[in-house]
Amino acid sequence: MRWKHLPALIALSNSMTEPELIEGILRRDRHAFQYLVTRYQKQVIKTACYFVGNMEDAEDLSQEIFLDIIHSLHTFKKSSSLSTWIYRITVNKSINMVKKQQRRGIMMRLESLFRLTTGQETGKEMEPSVSSDDFEQQEKRELLHAAISRLPENQRIAFILCKYEDQTYKQIAEIMKIGLPAVESLIHRARLNLQKHLTYHFSEYKKN
Amino acid sequence: MDCNQFKSNVFAFSEKTLEKDTYQAAEHHVSTCISCSRLLSEYKVLADIMEQEKNAGPNPFAATRILQRIENEFYKPKGLTSKAWMRVLQPVAITFALMTGILIGSYTARQDQTPVNKMASTSENIEFLRSNLFISDFADEDKLLVLNK
Ligand SMILES: [Zn+2]
Repeated sequence: MRWKHLPALIALSNSMTEPELIEGILRRDRHAFQYLVTRYQKQVIKTACYFVGNMEDAEDLSQEIFLDIIHSLHTFKKSSSLSTWIYRITVNKSINMVKKQQRRGIMMRLESLFRLTTGQETGKEMEPSVSSDDFEQQEKRELLHAAISRLPENQRIAFILCKYEDQTYKQIAEIMKIGLPAVESLIHRARLNLQKHLTYHFSEYKKN
Repeated sequence: MDCNQFKSNVFAFSEKTLEKDTYQAAEHHVSTCISCSRLLSEYKVLADIMEQEKNAGPNPFAATRILQRIENEFYKPKGLTSKAWMRVLQPVAITFALMTGILIGSYTARQDQTPVNKMASTSENIEFLRSNLFISDFADEDKLLVLNK
């Protein structure tokens, strides 16, 4: 395997500037690829994870994202930073994956419904082993993810980039190719929608 | 600030993104209202969860896997992959099997068209069958049956 001396090579390529990196990738230079991956893997995987909902899928998806970045780098206009452009690709790919997952989810629900109505065994769902201490935390985590995934697409993108990726409104505007007031409005509406969903759940929870 | 006003600001309050005046009013209300302080504690748990998720890093081997994928994409010679080979070989194998079947079928059909009397008209045939099938003794009626055909 050619990447086994990765740490040494990373140190070697630490000094790469953005134009050097872009030029290196366009030349299909290994050091440039290594620098690209070590520099942006956390950003890509974490952002993908907030959309697709689990680290395993996010890591698989990140491979596609990096290939996409390399293949389409010649279209990068340099009007924004490379990081912004990478965020844009990551968000688009992640949203597409979520749509695929949703379609698959609908098909699976239909299939299980079919099995139920035809009296076939549905089989036991795999459940992660969660201790009772973690149970409440896990429940809240799922509630939060469900609330975020219910947000309209643009609100979800803006909220995730702001809340989880600490992107400024200006950066989000560049990533989403929209104006600053639109970003402000999206994040404000996302907060209100989340609050509505969560507060409703908490009040229902108290009643039961 | 009353309970409804607090509820409509609770998320921003837990995130500390409220304007200073509103924040102070909310802070004052929550210190005197049990119901709102309960609601706030729920939001604080969510804020902690979000913070944990923000700090979670990816698998340390993820980078290696990405680089391996890049290596396969850009540096490995692109011959026919096993999948591609299968796509070529499968139809060839099926065609071969079909052709063999047709050839065997037509050959045996030709054999069947040989007149029956030619096959079993003489006692030589019986001798032949006896020696080849290791049948030691044909019954006389069998012999007659074959001979009468
Ligand atoms: Zn109150």
